[in-house]
Amino acid sequence: MRVRLFRGSSGVVKLSRGLGQWGYSLPARTWIVVAWKELLEALRDRRTMLNVVLLPMIMMPLVISLPTLMLSPKAIPPKIMVVVSDEGAMDLAQQIKSLESSSQAQVYIVTGEGDFSNLILNGEVDLVVEIPKGFLRNITDGRSGTIVYYYDPYGARSSVAIGIVQGIVDGYSHTILKERLRAINLSEEYIRPITTVAKQVTAGGGEVSTGEVLTAIVIPMMVGLIAITGAGTFAIDMIAGERERKTIEALLTNPVTRGQVLCGKFLALTALALISGISTVLSSIVGVGIAVSSVEESIAYVQATKLIDPSKIGYFIVGILLTIALGGLTGNAIMVTAASFAKSFKEAQQYIGFLTLILVVPMVAIPYAPQSLYPYLRLMPISSLAMFARDMIVNPGELAAVFTSLAVSLIYLMVFLWLSSKMFVRESVVFG
Amino acid sequence: MAAIEAISLTKKFGDLVAVNNLSFSVEEGSIFGLLGPNGAGKTTTLRMIYGVLKPTSGTARVLGVDVVHNPTKAKSLMGVLPEETGLYPRLTAEENLIYFGKLRRMEDWRLRKRVAELLELLNLTDKKYVIADKLSRGQRQKVAFARAILDEPPVLLLDEPTLGVDVMSAREIRKMIEDYAATGKTVVLSTHNMWDVERLCDYIGIISEGKLRYLGKKEDLEKLVGEKEFEDVFVRLVKGDVVES
Repeated sequence: MRVRLFRGSSGVVKLSRGLGQWGYSLPARTWIVVAWKELLEALRDRRTMLNVVLLPMIMMPLVISLPTLMLSPKAIPPKIMVVVSDEGAMDLAQQIKSLESSSQAQVYIVTGEGDFSNLILNGEVDLVVEIPKGFLRNITDGRSGTIVYYYDPYGARSSVAIGIVQGIVDGYSHTILKERLRAINLSEEYIRPITTVAKQVTAGGGEVSTGEVLTAIVIPMMVGLIAITGAGTFAIDMIAGERERKTIEALLTNPVTRGQVLCGKFLALTALALISGISTVLSSIVGVGIAVSSVEESIAYVQATKLIDPSKIGYFIVGILLTIALGGLTGNAIMVTAASFAKSFKEAQQYIGFLTLILVVPMVAIPYAPQSLYPYLRLMPISSLAMFARDMIVNPGELAAVFTSLAVSLIYLMVFLWLSSKMFVRESVVFG
Repeated sequence: MAAIEAISLTKKFGDLVAVNNLSFSVEEGSIFGLLGPNGAGKTTTLRMIYGVLKPTSGTARVLGVDVVHNPTKAKSLMGVLPEETGLYPRLTAEENLIYFGKLRRMEDWRLRKRVAELLELLNLTDKKYVIADKLSRGQRQKVAFARAILDEPPVLLLDEPTLGVDVMSAREIRKMIEDYAATGKTVVLSTHNMWDVERLCDYIGIISEGKLRYLGKKEDLEKLVGEKEFEDVFVRLVKGDVVES
């Protein structure tokens, strides 16, 4: 039996009928009534449900975690073939084989010689490690033994496999080096005069986990993007769609001001942006969690507390919600303004597609921008929003930075709202 | 007091003068028909009166309320059926009425009663939960008509109320217009349909190229032109064969 989620082909509304009946008891405030109508329409529009809820919930974890997951040796261990032509070097081959015990690779050891290129080209193995004849003799004679890697230059998993094997080879080489140095009575420090230590410098003074770093990079960008683009389809529908369906004229024959109507529409859009933004944040956190779990030592190490500093959780939530609300309003005000120039839904989609691209650029650029640009990014439209989210997650204690990005975001919001209200009251918006 | 007064209404779109210095008044309790060929300026005139287009010059008053200076108050006195039904396709027939009733600040109990009453009167009760997109053209027009008279406004403005509607629905709408006017309300309708004018209107105004060609009682026009079919009267007036009375 087919389950009808929204309505039957007869057009009889069933599931959302109660929400419609709720309209009778609404307070007689124009903006509330308009928002109710907009949300009711959104609920019955598959495009909105897809864009606002389902897409972020499914796409975000995939987009964030899939690349890391695909390359993670733990998630999908690369296949490595060790070809031992010098049987005296079997101990090194066995060390490489030991990677299997930590599930980092599948290792096959074969002895003899041959051409194994086809195995790489056919994708049967990701890496062939050849230990050629004379390898051990060269080492025992005090020379360098050479190992040959055969790999696919286009295959990311080949590179991952080389990285894993190289770790074993480096350890093996280090053991031999220590023995050689001991034989001539020299210390390791003697041949390695300089060592390096990397220490994290954070505003809070503590160390941050990989998860926290990823959260600080990914979340502001995702929140900004979804807040701006999440309810975009509905913003187009709100103006160009109303004009195309000729509903706006009937609406404006009622004793309501255009400001009240716009206010109700923005209320509905903000609600949609919040739903979209929250589902994006939650699914992004899941995505970051999966991504981190594939690179860290063990899954148990990755807990929610490692993705967000527990002492900053309050700032995180407030920052995210404010960014979504402000971003949703700003983005939609821009979309409404742009849609006001269009005569049809299709034309509006083209304008907004181009506009979205422009809005997305600063959001995507922020994680890669040098810190010296931050003061300027806090003053620019749209990027100020992402900076606010970042400041609230990373440095909530830096009040000047937080207030600057918040104040600037609010000022731009006012400007865009004013602009959209000016465009909305034009006669050409109503009659094309 | 006149229900509607149009005072030197003019509307220009760039170089095009859509309505040129139009003045007329409509008596309270009458049915006034605004006639004219396509592009004559009927819809533009109505749009200026019901406040969605701002006149380039001149103004209009509805029961003494200026539509330019006090549009919100003026709109509360008018029910409007625009040229397009303007129903929200994803809302049901009932929800469309609820929405507009709430925008007109109708109380909960009164709105419930009125919606049920109108759906019953227009034979739409079985369609109350059907989204507007799935209604026939005639059914949509009837819902839009119900929307216009929802809070029983003293003035009703109808732009082509029976255009493209099936015979049965047109008949129901005409009956509703007559019944509504019989309660002392004023109705202004713009139409191409001569049958609607002959059957419904007390007074008529004929517009051509944005100018008023005739204004007066329907019977007076018939006398002025002679014993002709009403359609012929209209054609002669639009062509300028007959001088305004």
